[in-house]
Amino acid sequence: MNQRLLGILLDSFPKILLPGLTMTIPLTVISFSLALVIAVVTAMVQFANVKVLKSIARFYIWVVRGTPLLVQLYVIFYGLPNLGVMLDPFPSAVLVFSINEGAYCAETIRAALESVPKGQLEAGYCVGMSYMQTIRRIILPQAMRTAFPSLSNNLISMVKDTSLAANITVMEMFMVTQRIASRYYEHLALYIEVALIYLLFCTVLTKLQALGEKKLNSYGAN
Amino acid sequence: MAMLQIRNLRKCFDGLEVLKSVSLEVEKGDVVAILGPSGSGKTTFLRCINFLETADEGELIFDGEVFPLHGATRKDIGALRKKTAFVFQNYNLFRNKTALQNVTEGLIIGRKMPKDQANALGMRMLQKVGMADRADSYPNQLSGGQQQRVAIARALATDPEIILFDEPTSALDPELTGEVLAVMRALAQEGMTMLVVTHEMNFAKNVSSKVVFMEGGVVVEESDPTAFFQNPKQERARAFLKTILGEERKE
Ligand SMILES: Nc1ncnc2c1ncn2[C@@H]1O[C@H](COP(=O)(O)OP(=O)(O)OP(=O)(O)O)[C@@H](O)[C@H]1O
Ligand SMILES: [Mg+2]
Repeated sequence: MNQRLLGILLDSFPKILLPGLTMTIPLTVISFSLALVIAVVTAMVQFANVKVLKSIARFYIWVVRGTPLLVQLYVIFYGLPNLGVMLDPFPSAVLVFSINEGAYCAETIRAALESVPKGQLEAGYCVGMSYMQTIRRIILPQAMRTAFPSLSNNLISMVKDTSLAANITVMEMFMVTQRIASRYYEHLALYIEVALIYLLFCTVLTKLQALGEKKLNSYGAN
Repeated sequence: MAMLQIRNLRKCFDGLEVLKSVSLEVEKGDVVAILGPSGSGKTTFLRCINFLETADEGELIFDGEVFPLHGATRKDIGALRKKTAFVFQNYNLFRNKTALQNVTEGLIIGRKMPKDQANALGMRMLQKVGMADRADSYPNQLSGGQQQRVAIARALATDPEIILFDEPTSALDPELTGEVLAVMRALAQEGMTMLVVTHEMNFAKNVSSKVVFMEGGVVVEESDPTAFFQNPKQERARAFLKTILGEERKE
């Protein structure tokens, strides 16, 4: 490897990592947290068979899962201004990622809720707990434990998907890399560099997932 | 008057009549053993009493208070469940809670009992079933017999007037049934009112105060245990005993 290229890679490393820490990670953390809230609510109204809300939940999941994430980003960021709604890049990205991820996580959590044996709810009734009390204290915690590996997967996917936010001018890692690459004409090296940083992030998350699973298994249940 | 009366309980599952006008009276302190072949409706009967299943018809009278078994209000259901406790065939311990938490959860969350009071009561109940030393174990760290004893402690903690048992030992390995039956026998001696669906003929014979034999969704015979086992009145009960006691002898 020649001196110039090495210099560029070393020089650009902190420049790419920084937006990784200040944009990619916050975007992921905020969006995923909101997605989980949306997902639990969406899964619950289906699980509990709440009449109208259940149809709304199915409709939401149908639309989100049936359309590309990139198109959703364009609709919100470039499309809404036609209706007079202008959102900044970062909030637009948070909005789209949380709504998108919420639909996928909702399906994971719904399946996990349904996998909890019916007897758990009945046992709750028999010791004087209400439906909501039993859901909150018994059913949902068990479901979240079941869903943990899948949700971790979703989170890891999301880290990578945030690179799509470059399309709506969010200054995250990939956007910054694109700029540096076109300045120096070193596309191959720089895109591999950013890929390795994504890989690093995902490796850390995979390790955390393994730790989390171990902790969940070590204290009983299942 | 009997503590608990069930009148004309009827229940269908998709057009199939599983319980055909079942009536039963239980006195305070009674230990009623419900026997009968598989599919005769024993589980369904117990579940209807506790509103885990909604009957199509019938009423239940508890200490003179009338509860419709069909179309009961939420308040009725809550009030009745407060008087009863249920022990399931497969234990149904809360899998995400320790043994002690299993016992206290309903007290703290359902009945708003202060936590230390609930914990003290919970430990006393675990002690009673010989499980105090495993208070911090999770269900999957316990044997079936131990889980069922915790489930009985959980039932006792809610201070029920009657405990409904649905084949409490039939999911257990034979060598573990004894510890559960011993706990139930002790409860019977203390005067706890119990309704026990069981295939344990020795328990029915030696512990129960009354035997109810069900078949095809009806109570075929109701008598005291000695009479039932020595000289059943009904042909169907006689046939049932012959099969089941024959099997026991073979084992
Ligand atoms: N949820 C249900 N849906 C449809 N049919 C049911 C349901 N539960 C029970 N049944 C039917 O009702 C009948 C009585 O069942 P039940 O479980 O009460 O019998 P049981 O006497 O407890 O039998 P076992 O000794 O095998 O436990 C059976 O024919 C069964 O198939
Ligand atoms: Mg049964």
